[in-house]
Amino acid sequence: MILADFGTSYSKFLDLAEPDPQPRILPTKELSRDLRVDLATGHNGKRFSGRYVNELVALARGAAALIAEPSYLVLDCGSRDIKYIRYQDGKLLDMGWNAECGASMGFTIELLERYYNLDFSRLAVPEKTFSVTCGVLGISDIFDAITSGAGEAEAVARFVKGIAVNAHRFAGSPEKLYLSGGLCDNPLFVKSFPCQVEPLGRFVLLTGLRHTSDR
Amino acid sequence: MAWDHNLDLEETRRLLDQRRPRRVGIVGQPPRAVIAELNSRAIEILDLDAMLVREDIEATVTILPRVYCAILRTVVLNALHLDLEAIVIDTGPGKCDSARYVATILKEQLTIPVLTTVNLDRESCGYPYCRAELDLIEKFQAITEGVKIARPPAAPPAPCHPTAGFWGVPPRDFSILAPFPATTHVYGWTRCLENKTPTDLDLEMQINPAVPMVFFAQSFCAKTALARHLARQHPHALCLDIDLHTTSSAKAKVQAFLELSGVAP
Repeated sequence: MILADFGTSYSKFLDLAEPDPQPRILPTKELSRDLRVDLATGHNGKRFSGRYVNELVALARGAAALIAEPSYLVLDCGSRDIKYIRYQDGKLLDMGWNAECGASMGFTIELLERYYNLDFSRLAVPEKTFSVTCGVLGISDIFDAITSGAGEAEAVARFVKGIAVNAHRFAGSPEKLYLSGGLCDNPLFVKSFPCQVEPLGRFVLLTGLRHTSDR
Repeated sequence: MAWDHNLDLEETRRLLDQRRPRRVGIVGQPPRAVIAELNSRAIEILDLDAMLVREDIEATVTILPRVYCAILRTVVLNALHLDLEAIVIDTGPGKCDSARYVATILKEQLTIPVLTTVNLDRESCGYPYCRAELDLIEKFQAITEGVKIARPPAAPPAPCHPTAGFWGVPPRDFSILAPFPATTHVYGWTRCLENKTPTDLDLEMQINPAVPMVFFAQSFCAKTALARHLARQHPHALCLDIDLHTTSSAKAKVQAFLELSGVAP
């Protein structure tokens, strides 16, 4: 049985028929149109499978399998959108999904990393930040800061911090959050949150699918 | 200044006697006496709050800002494209300031008479469809159709035990209602609408803490504040606002909320 989380930029796969199933990642733009999987989630999931699990449901089930606490907030930051789920004493308390105003933040961070040839593991969290509510619109702040004399790396770091601050606010400004998605691998982003962050990695939704397939 | 409630009816009668229209558009919920007068003359009523034409909403940008209540943008779109002989717009506390301004604009833009009313009706007609076991879209269709008829339904459906709740106004795009089970009870202004008492704030603020509830308002509507306020008081709530169309993320949020809350489809 093949499970897949079809994201906007990257798709993650897990083949349960393998002896020791390990997730694999492929750029979504490289996927064949004829590809079919048994169970899918993610922005592009319905195109590749007849059996689809809502992204928030997959996130909730994955988080429940990975977090051994009855009360928590898990925030998923993807290429295209941000979403969160909050549980209290084992019961769903709140959720949110921002696909419009929070659009393209992860995608823009990756774009900037390549364009300016940056290594996010070497960048320090800046003092200042931009007020970023949209990845695309936030680029203007970077250009303005560079024009005003800031270095490229400093300007991008302020942008990344702005995205983290905005995502934290969107999730209701918790004191602690569990982070899901590809941005878990970006140390600057993780350190930019104004709260305690526990990264869960980019396979939380796949874990959720696995628990769905067990049902 | 105190409103003379009979003035609406007198003005309506004068208009109907003078113009003898066969087709009248309504906005919001005009007073029951006004609807009864239209019904007694067998005048066709079109509810301009609903999507009645397949024209591009961009046709309204010369009259209204793009960032404006989608229901009122729809009203203007309908008014521009339907063959109407008069329009009755309720601008009382049961509707909104925005409707009052739209009425003012339409009076100047259109060549047909635009009559404004202030509905202060307090006589309860009941809200059986809000509590019935029925597909939620069909439920809303029945309630919004009821606005055009002064009498309450002759054979109201029986109430069911609720498993979920939907609070708010009838959405412009009914597709957001599709994920809900038939046992969803309807609350908020829609309940006031069916009860034919659109200014009844006590009724509008009723919630049911025993079932998961979605609190809905149209984007850019003043009711978004009340939706958030009530959602904060509810132990198991999802607050939602939608503009012109139901986005895939909005629908997914509702589906996930219901599924993770253990509400059976």
